[in-house]
Amino acid sequence: MTDGTAPGSRQPETTPVADEIGDLRVIARDDPPPSGANDLIVMGAASGAILGGIGFAVGLLAGAPLGFYGAALAVGLLSLGVAVRRWITDRFPDIDAVELRPGPEPSGPIADVAPVPRRSFLGRFLAVAAGVLGLGLIAPVVSLGPAPGDALRRTAWRRGSRLVTTDGQPLSPADLSPGGVVTVWPEGAIGDETAAVILLRLSGEPVDPTNGDWVVDSTVVAYSKICTHAGCPVGLFREQDDALFCPCHQSTFDAQRGAIPTFGPTARALPQLPLGVDDEGNLVALGDFTEQVGPAFG
Amino acid sequence: MTPLFALLWDTLDDRLKLRAPGRKVANKVFPHHWSFLLGEIALISFVILVLTGIFLTMFYRPSIDPVVYSGANELFGGRRLPAAFESIVRLTYDVPGGLLFRRIHRAAAHLFIATVILHLLRIILTGAFRKPREINYHLGVVLLLLAFALGFTGYSLPYDALAGTGIRIAYTELLSTPYIGDRLAFWIFGGEFPTGDVIPRFFVFHVLLLPGLIIGAISAHLGLVARQRHTQFPRVGIDGHRWIVGKPLWPSQFAESATLLLWVGGVLVASAVLVPWADIVLQGPYRPGEVGNNAQPDWYLFWLEGALRLFPPIEFSVLGMTVSGPFFAGAVMPTLVIALLVVYPFVERRVYGLEGEWHVLQNPLDIPLRAAFLIGTFGFLLLLSAGATNDILSRLWGVPIETLTWVFRILALVGPPLGAVGIFAYSKRRLAAKGQTVASVER
Ligand code: HEM
Ligand code: FES
Repeated sequence: MTDGTAPGSRQPETTPVADEIGDLRVIARDDPPPSGANDLIVMGAASGAILGGIGFAVGLLAGAPLGFYGAALAVGLLSLGVAVRRWITDRFPDIDAVELRPGPEPSGPIADVAPVPRRSFLGRFLAVAAGVLGLGLIAPVVSLGPAPGDALRRTAWRRGSRLVTTDGQPLSPADLSPGGVVTVWPEGAIGDETAAVILLRLSGEPVDPTNGDWVVDSTVVAYSKICTHAGCPVGLFREQDDALFCPCHQSTFDAQRGAIPTFGPTARALPQLPLGVDDEGNLVALGDFTEQVGPAFG
Repeated sequence: MTPLFALLWDTLDDRLKLRAPGRKVANKVFPHHWSFLLGEIALISFVILVLTGIFLTMFYRPSIDPVVYSGANELFGGRRLPAAFESIVRLTYDVPGGLLFRRIHRAAAHLFIATVILHLLRIILTGAFRKPREINYHLGVVLLLLAFALGFTGYSLPYDALAGTGIRIAYTELLSTPYIGDRLAFWIFGGEFPTGDVIPRFFVFHVLLLPGLIIGAISAHLGLVARQRHTQFPRVGIDGHRWIVGKPLWPSQFAESATLLLWVGGVLVASAVLVPWADIVLQGPYRPGEVGNNAQPDWYLFWLEGALRLFPPIEFSVLGMTVSGPFFAGAVMPTLVIALLVVYPFVERRVYGLEGEWHVLQNPLDIPLRAAFLIGTFGFLLLLSAGATNDILSRLWGVPIETLTWVFRILALVGPPLGAVGIFAYSKRRLAAKGQTVASVER
């Protein structure tokens, strides 16, 4: 430490130098003894590297299994490491040296050409100008995506949309046996994430706050499949207590009671799809969801 | 030197005058300790990531448009797959060496992030962040965040079931930002999830933007280490604040770095032969509305995943914004943790009224506040990470998941403060028993 602010009091100022090699201040030096064994190690390891390199290239080109040419490459790299290390440690003394840490800086200005006096206002104005120009350059960010509008509040479900499976099959209530569960989409929008719906036949009749008008055949209900926590698909249905379960963070929903959350990190029920049956007996939506689907947004 | 090398060297030296600066560099003394190798291993892993990544980029297709796979793999043969996923399948089964490079790339990614974190721990444990190295410490925090981003975007690129789920949760996190969440998410994703833009954009982040930033930041980081010189552990009889003790760059440090490079490379390749690091594609491509049972990010994001799982169900509206659990767990909490990392060096200096510059490393137990900070912060992050395995532990131990979740909630809240207070008291007593104070431990 070079100024008076050094922490605590230090050891006496000894210069720990023992010896000098050129510009190096050496405090310990260990010369490798001549060793025939070392030459053997270097030779052996270097040969291993050669074999590894050849094994890798030939194995890869000849279509050998990954285990073969991968192992060859690993052996080649590891052996070359041994060879390089042994070669250097046998050729050079091992040296401990010291060096002074950088001292205090010389005083004086960083540049010798100083400005002549002018109004300081101009400099500030220039800074403001550069700032405004810089801020203006942020504008293209807006081109990166469309304005959200009400995109997050609507889904592809419309009045009369038929419920179809991922294969495009329409469904009637009779297709669902007790405990039956199937992922459905609005016809024409298969794979449209926010429209994913899970259609269930419950083991008992649903109660409040399930909307009874949207229950078909007394036990068939449909809920949004997008978890209201962070948007994973609510994939699992536990039949014995009609629970829907999200595999991502374990939010659990009671499908008999309007899919309200009973455990886990989500605070909101899965929205219920207005469900009905059309003249041909197919399950259809009576309209879009009336609540926001998926996670909350700022 | 062989005559050819000698000629080349003389030719260059004659024109560029390399002898004097070369000698200065070769004679630079570098302190020596195994823990100083952690940063170096991180650097080596990054180099290996770049090399293997270049090979993978030759084949990867950044698109989710469906294409028909017609290669050798029977499971996916003739199936329509998102182009990104299809190109990964092709790389894995139809390109010689493709699977090996994919596995090395994944293994190196794990090693990179692991060693960056261990390197950060060694910096904090030993007090290498103290003046004058705060700038490099903060640059390090930036590198840590860039490393996380690099890992996450890479994890997303195959567009397999796990990747899609991770991207969906990242999208939700963006959405949860108060007021501008929907805009922010649409700007980054190019529209409502899942857009066709997300994979091309993540590709640009992963292969261009983030590596570029990391290369720049690493260069500055190493430039600062060279300029400010390395810290060192105390050594009897030598004032380490005045003298650097170590080994010269040539030949000792060179030999060590060269072997380290080759050995880390060799170990990564060997691990790629033994461990199927990159074979997750077998789970199939991402399809909206589908998710596997073990939806989990890579280990280094477990703390965020755990926070998402443990945070209580909260959602309310104030002042025209909706605030939800994922916003606290995925945005507020990480911001606080990072802020804590950023301000800690200043807090320590302030609390102990320290002045001057410090070049000698310490035992963290000599600085009670630092010991408490370490145990508190990293204990919290570890407990959150453990919380991310609650479903697995529940199955393994046969304990209901509800019980486990409550156990982790309580542990994560109570454990770290208790641990911090405990270690604080212990190190204080330890100092007193030695008759020392924080300001005097440097002696
Ligand atoms: C991409 C990630 C990183 C790489 C490649 C890297 C590389 C390195 C290397 C090679 C060194 C010199 C050897 C050593 O002390 O380990 C070093 C020193 C240092 N690093 Fe990092 N680092 C990274 C991230 C970080 C992080 C996350 C922090 C802390 C927040 C950090 C803080 C420091 C500091 C303060 C030094 C000086 C150490 C001293 O003089 O004792 N670095 N880094
Ligand atoms: S996304 Fe369903 S619990 Fe988090």
